[in-house]
Amino acid sequence: MGLWLDLAVAGLITGGMYALVAIGLNLQYGLMRVMNIAHGEFLMVGAYLAWWAHTTTRLNPLLALPLVFVVLFVVGLVVHRLCFRRVAREAPSVEVLEARSLLVGFGLMFLIQNAAFLAWGADLRGYEYLAQPVEIAGARFGANRVLVFGVAVAVSLALLGVLRVTLLGKAVRAMMQSPTGAQLVGIDEKVLHPVVFSAGLALAGVAGALLSMIYEISPSMGEPYTVTALIVITLGGLGSAAGSLVAGLLLGLVETFGTHVSNPSLKPLLSYGVFVAVLVLRPRGLFAR
Amino acid sequence: MSGRGAVALAGGAAALAAAPWVLSDFLLSLTLSCLMYAALAVSWALFSGATHYLSLATAAFFGLGAYVTAWGVAVLPWPVVVIGGGVVASAFAALVGGAVLHLRGAYFAVLTFGLGELVRHAITYFEKSMFRTVGRVLTVTPTTTTVYLTVLALAVAAVATAIVVRRNRFGLALAGIGADEERAQTLGVATRAVKVGGFALSAFFAGAMGAAVTVRWTYIDPPAVFNPFIGFQTVLIAMTGGASTLVGPLASAVVFSLLTEFLRLRFPYAYLLLLGVLLIALVLYLPRGIASLFDRPARATTPETPVRG
Repeated sequence: MGLWLDLAVAGLITGGMYALVAIGLNLQYGLMRVMNIAHGEFLMVGAYLAWWAHTTTRLNPLLALPLVFVVLFVVGLVVHRLCFRRVAREAPSVEVLEARSLLVGFGLMFLIQNAAFLAWGADLRGYEYLAQPVEIAGARFGANRVLVFGVAVAVSLALLGVLRVTLLGKAVRAMMQSPTGAQLVGIDEKVLHPVVFSAGLALAGVAGALLSMIYEISPSMGEPYTVTALIVITLGGLGSAAGSLVAGLLLGLVETFGTHVSNPSLKPLLSYGVFVAVLVLRPRGLFAR
Repeated sequence: MSGRGAVALAGGAAALAAAPWVLSDFLLSLTLSCLMYAALAVSWALFSGATHYLSLATAAFFGLGAYVTAWGVAVLPWPVVVIGGGVVASAFAALVGGAVLHLRGAYFAVLTFGLGELVRHAITYFEKSMFRTVGRVLTVTPTTTTVYLTVLALAVAAVATAIVVRRNRFGLALAGIGADEERAQTLGVATRAVKVGGFALSAFFAGAMGAAVTVRWTYIDPPAVFNPFIGFQTVLIAMTGGASTLVGPLASAVVFSLLTEFLRLRFPYAYLLLLGVLLIALVLYLPRGIASLFDRPARATTPETPVRG
């Protein structure tokens, strides 16, 4: 019993992270059909920002989170302005838009990842933060892991709240349901697209900063998270933020339990297996009706 | 048109076949790299250029072919190994194609990419648990000349196949699917069979190429032969060259292979960084090269695509 609880908590901690990484990407795709395959690279940039702020100025990593959010939001505005705005304007159809933005995303991935290699080298970096253990229901976990889980879920829920309650959130949901209808009632695409795109990047950055508190970081750390995010949004349904939250937690649990009953080198096989199975069997996501 | 293409192809092949006895080792390996990417890009364009299904599975097919070599090169005759690599990749493509070719857009692209990773991890796991190894050293390998001529033969076969397919019913069906899949279906094209067939045909060349080329690396492990870079570079070459044309990917393959050869080893990070910038710039500011991929057939009949006209 203790062991299962142990695994469940570990799975939820991993899953909370997955959810946060996936929600930003899902909003971007749901709203503007931009599958930003460089999502994980912005996560990596966020991680390096937090690490850099902590090691040079001794800034508390928790206080670095808002900083990372703002910096990546601005980066997002610039990237959207330079790349994706033009792609969206020039593409004659949604299909072309998807294909082209995917290629632009690959370009960004090469660009950012290798710029990071040039800037920081391939070494693993890290710092210690709240490494002492705490006890939850008889099992011991690093305090930083529990904190990261809490922040990830809080940010995800806050985002869901924003989408549900505020005018901005309602505009985003309206535009996802019907871009033309939303424009007709006066929702401006020219404002909403950059804001949502940048918010997606900012969330990726925050996720990266959180990850830097518990893992060592490297320029190539982002790619696996991109793939995980793709799996999560496929599971949860494209465009559904709540679906991503549930699916993220679920994938965390599946991975943790799955690797426990089989063996650790099966982990990537397991997540890709889930991914391919869902795409083939339920391409609209687990929760689609 | 086909006659002129066939003559040009035969002439080019004859000239290139003399290379092992004329060129230095370095130039020969450069030519080989050009031929490899030419074959990969042309065979990719054969399916993805015509149908607009953006496949990122090239690395998976290439790696499967490479592992046929890893397992078979010491015991089987060389032609059997190469063709076997192609057949295995083809069979895999047909199997998954049947399951996933109803998905379009980003879904299809992402899924094919995921498949590559799935195969890579599956083989890694298989090798680890069955043979307790992560990589293999190839001790019995054919001579450089044999490998070069094999790669040349595959490249010629890929181009010849592309020429033939563009002109027959099968190729027209593929292009029809690219233009408007529902309409093609209404007009009596068995879209599913055509898509699976095209995907498998395109996979054959990637798999055979993987089987033929990797013997030069002597050490084979999954991260090297399933390197997603192989797939990206192939897509990049085909799309920048103009995926619905035949000459475009060929020319672009030469340019990119030379770039890779000269820059990648000396400045690996800067090269990939440059490649990223180039990719973004091309998609944003040179939509013509890429646009031909998405145009309706009526507009695709530009001077750059004489074969269709």
